[in-house]
Amino acid sequence: MSEPCASPTPARARKQLKATTIMPFVTVVVVVGIFQILNPSFLSYHGIVTIVYAMSYFLIAACGLTLVIMMGSFDFSVVAVMKLSALLCVLFIGKLGLLVIPLALAVSAAIGFINGVLFTKLKVPSFIATLGISVVLDGISLLSSKGFLHLLEDERFRSISVTFIAGLPSIFYWALGVWLLCTVVSVATPFGRRVFAIGGNPRAAALSSINVDRHRIIVFVLSSLLAGLAGVLYVSQQGGWSMEIGGQMMIPLFASVVAGGTSLRGGTGGPQRTLLGVIIITWIQSGLLMMGLGREIQFVILGVIAILMAVATTERGKLTRLMVK
Amino acid sequence: MNHSHTKRSGLRGVWEATKNYPVILIVIGLVVIFSTLYTKLFLSPVNLTATLRQFVTLMLFSIGPSIVMLLGSMDLSFIGIWMLGSVLLWILTPVIGPPALLVFPLLGLATGFIAGVVHTKGRIPSFILTLSILITYWGLTVVLSGGYPRPVKGYGFITASVLPRVPTPFLWSIPIILAAIIVVLRTRLGIYFWAIGSNEEGTRLAGIDVDRYKTIAFMLSGTFTGIGSIILFEHLGGSAPVEFNMNNVVRPLVAIILGGTPLVGGTGGPHRTILGVFTFSILYRGLYLSSLRPEVIDLVVGLVLILSVVINSRGARMKGVDVT
Repeated sequence: MSEPCASPTPARARKQLKATTIMPFVTVVVVVGIFQILNPSFLSYHGIVTIVYAMSYFLIAACGLTLVIMMGSFDFSVVAVMKLSALLCVLFIGKLGLLVIPLALAVSAAIGFINGVLFTKLKVPSFIATLGISVVLDGISLLSSKGFLHLLEDERFRSISVTFIAGLPSIFYWALGVWLLCTVVSVATPFGRRVFAIGGNPRAAALSSINVDRHRIIVFVLSSLLAGLAGVLYVSQQGGWSMEIGGQMMIPLFASVVAGGTSLRGGTGGPQRTLLGVIIITWIQSGLLMMGLGREIQFVILGVIAILMAVATTERGKLTRLMVK
Repeated sequence: MNHSHTKRSGLRGVWEATKNYPVILIVIGLVVIFSTLYTKLFLSPVNLTATLRQFVTLMLFSIGPSIVMLLGSMDLSFIGIWMLGSVLLWILTPVIGPPALLVFPLLGLATGFIAGVVHTKGRIPSFILTLSILITYWGLTVVLSGGYPRPVKGYGFITASVLPRVPTPFLWSIPIILAAIIVVLRTRLGIYFWAIGSNEEGTRLAGIDVDRYKTIAFMLSGTFTGIGSIILFEHLGGSAPVEFNMNNVVRPLVAIILGGTPLVGGTGGPHRTILGVFTFSILYRGLYLSSLRPEVIDLVVGLVLILSVVINSRGARMKGVDVT
């Protein structure tokens, strides 16, 4: 099977999808405009560097989650994987040097593989499997970090994300590269088309001789791998690890994926859209923070946005059964 | 609906019952293991009371969600109802006095209504919807309380001791559990719930307004959680909480799934959840008595969640249900 199996936007739905394509652009303009009026220093060089820092690792993790959501599944473990891979870097940098990065990525990929096997072979619904795994991973993180704050002072490791190239930190270029790669893979390769096809209708995809289980496992591995990469870059950007990192990042992550226009139904959207979603969500987060509002009010606003966006990006009028109940 | 009890006599009957309720074997196994490991501690009155207290907490949180899970959906908003309700109680008590307790069921009802309508009309997955609601409520809780736990005085009568050694919240929870079981097992509403859970498409084709009954299920779940929260509020310290802990969300889910309500719905219900909660309380107390660190206990809870779903989904594989 080298022919693409399904178009990400079927011709029939193309007209309807226009609204969800335009909406993120409008939202970006509105959000940026509102915060620019409220706080004129926002679009200064300093403000933009702050947002780029907040956005980069977030975008990498969101790309992985997008791949899973467009396949019609869900991955709760993104934040826990991020936390664990960041912790591995902090704990083993003294012994292994820069070799911790492949170690952290390999562990993340292995977790993704476990997620995929639980989901496809043992038939555990993906959201509950990844929820269970994330509880286990958080336990492991807490146990091996003993709950302390860990500092990371290796200059070479830190320079991976904080070297400035053309005025912007290098973590930005990493994120851009990952985003481009994900976009190309999901839009322009047969593999991406098959993932879209599985999201649209897994049974039909299986009948068109796509190895559904294998693709699902690969996508879960990719998602965890990207989460692990986000963790590595995050810790090299921050220079320290605490149990608080990530916090309740799941809702902002999920909100940015749906705000970009990837429907929870699966089969539509893709990483190319998630960029806009991430801009919207991080802009709102940083904007509220700069206005002096606390982290908690962000959750009120982001929770409501997540629900509204999820409703707005779902195609209605069809009586088909929800795949994810 | 696999409700095919065959009434047999004596030991044979017990053996048959364990086929329908395999979790009974786990309970017996756990009790035997823990009472041999910690002979003095495990069967001591203090530990039994503590187990009962654990049972009440988990049970009152799991009644509502187990109704929704019967339909194959998911309701994670229960912790949110408890947290936001407690803060609203803290705000309202000085204004209107003890009737402020009604804020819990009303908030639960409203939450269930919103969740049900958005889930059925907006057609978005219920687990992520209710998770968003939960996080929103948590944010509201912290904003309203100013970030500090707020003790509320004057509701001590809820947990005032009635029987020695038996926690009063346990007595209070009995009528609530019974009400939930009656709704699910003895009313037409319950039959519709089972039908929607086992075959939503078929139920719709049979002329039942599935969306309406799903919304009702979410409202019932919210209301039961709300009523339970009146007791839990005093049971868990009598103050408005601000710390959000994902464990509080995961543990009731483990208990429900252990009890035998699978994630795809169609079988199980609150009566089964009692067994699941009982098993989980014994397991938890047993682990607590051991010298394990609390983080290890969390880890075990996560593993039990995955394991119980794996064991439970054996049926789903045969039914050919799409798992996403």
